[in-house]
Amino acid sequence: MFKVLCTTILDKSYRQAFTFNIMTTEQFTNEFELARPQLKSYILRITASMEDSEDIVQDTYVKALIKLDTFRGDSSVKTWIFTIASNTAKDNLRAKKRWPETVTDICREKALANPGYFPEINSLMQNSAQTAFEIKEHITFCLTCISKSLPLEQQICILLKEIYDFKIAEIAEIMETTEAMAKYYLHTARSKMVEIYEGRCALINKNGACHQCSELNGIFNPKQDFEVEKKKIEFAKKANDPDREHLLDLRFKIMKEIDPFNSNGSNLQLFHLEHNKKIMENFEIKDE
Amino acid sequence: MISVTSNGQAITEKKVFSRETAVSIDIQADKSIIWALLTNANDFPRWNSTIISIDGIIAANEKIKLKSKLDPKREFKLVVKELVPETKLVWGDAMGKRIYALKTIGPNLTNYYMSEKIGGPIFPLFAKMIPPFDQAFEQFAKDLKTEAEIISKTK
Repeated sequence: MFKVLCTTILDKSYRQAFTFNIMTTEQFTNEFELARPQLKSYILRITASMEDSEDIVQDTYVKALIKLDTFRGDSSVKTWIFTIASNTAKDNLRAKKRWPETVTDICREKALANPGYFPEINSLMQNSAQTAFEIKEHITFCLTCISKSLPLEQQICILLKEIYDFKIAEIAEIMETTEAMAKYYLHTARSKMVEIYEGRCALINKNGACHQCSELNGIFNPKQDFEVEKKKIEFAKKANDPDREHLLDLRFKIMKEIDPFNSNGSNLQLFHLEHNKKIMENFEIKDE
Repeated sequence: MISVTSNGQAITEKKVFSRETAVSIDIQADKSIIWALLTNANDFPRWNSTIISIDGIIAANEKIKLKSKLDPKREFKLVVKELVPETKLVWGDAMGKRIYALKTIGPNLTNYYMSEKIGGPIFPLFAKMIPPFDQAFEQFAKDLKTEAEIISKTK
């Protein structure tokens, strides 16, 4: 009996030494719920899909719970959760094409050619809350679309750093790569985004090809003076600033302040995003 | 491989049947950053002022098409002949081969070496038609150093 008791105690101590739980299920659930809104918006911005963001966030919770006894607290819970979610999103996106830089032009053309598009929006606006058109929300929507033209690793790095405030070391951990590579992805992503906006965005370049902000503002807020509204946008006001990286940072600042699921126009922007996703799923380069 | 001081200045050795140019420079960055820059084909024109375009994937045995500012009208069809991650990359054609080599020489400090040897039995017939590489090599090394060190300083 004594021998059995000793063996049991030793066995338990051994197991505790190697599989200690840093937190209880309840503690983890509380932490997860705190991170959930950010996690959900992050996944939405990677996948452009409301359904996928719901599913991936839920999958992340379940996967994390199952692996809770392997969590050592070497990183924060938030970093750990984002790692699981990023891996799930990467698996989900691996076979899917990245979007072209001209995504907003392509989707605009498709929307204009679809007679059901605006009646559907009208119906949404009449029957749902949170459907106001705000330029800042459209800028965020645009940033989500344009970031999907970057290679996936670059898109993930730039969102983690600029929107969700992760440090390079944490991004490397989430991406399961080195800090050096995380820096490379981040730098390349920023350079490409500066270049894309330089060529496209009429808010910062009068020769820019894309005027969707003013166009949509004219449709949804016909009584508003776009030029007056434009002056309220920091990066548009500083359009002549030679520091184009700074303008990009101001764009990220706008995105950071908006919860895509809970803003004045979230339902309208989510509708647009879902529309673009469907167009992109069937888009071939020859369609361009 | 000809030996060269790591000061960013190119050296060329001319022989009857071949010509070889090499450059070496020390870069304050991790090897993996430099490797990423050297192996992402479509990203080259963004940071490298000597390259117009590289089409294809830089991976072992892959074919790539390179347009250089040194001879903008020509498209070089090359094969990646050797690739040792973060250490060595070799591409070339029947006329010659370009070697890129990386070596860690300290914490966050990498020595970069690049050489190109062109030649063959009929080399003397067209040797004068091939422009010197020295300036382009120095610029390549300088651009790589600048870009890699900017990335390395990212916080």
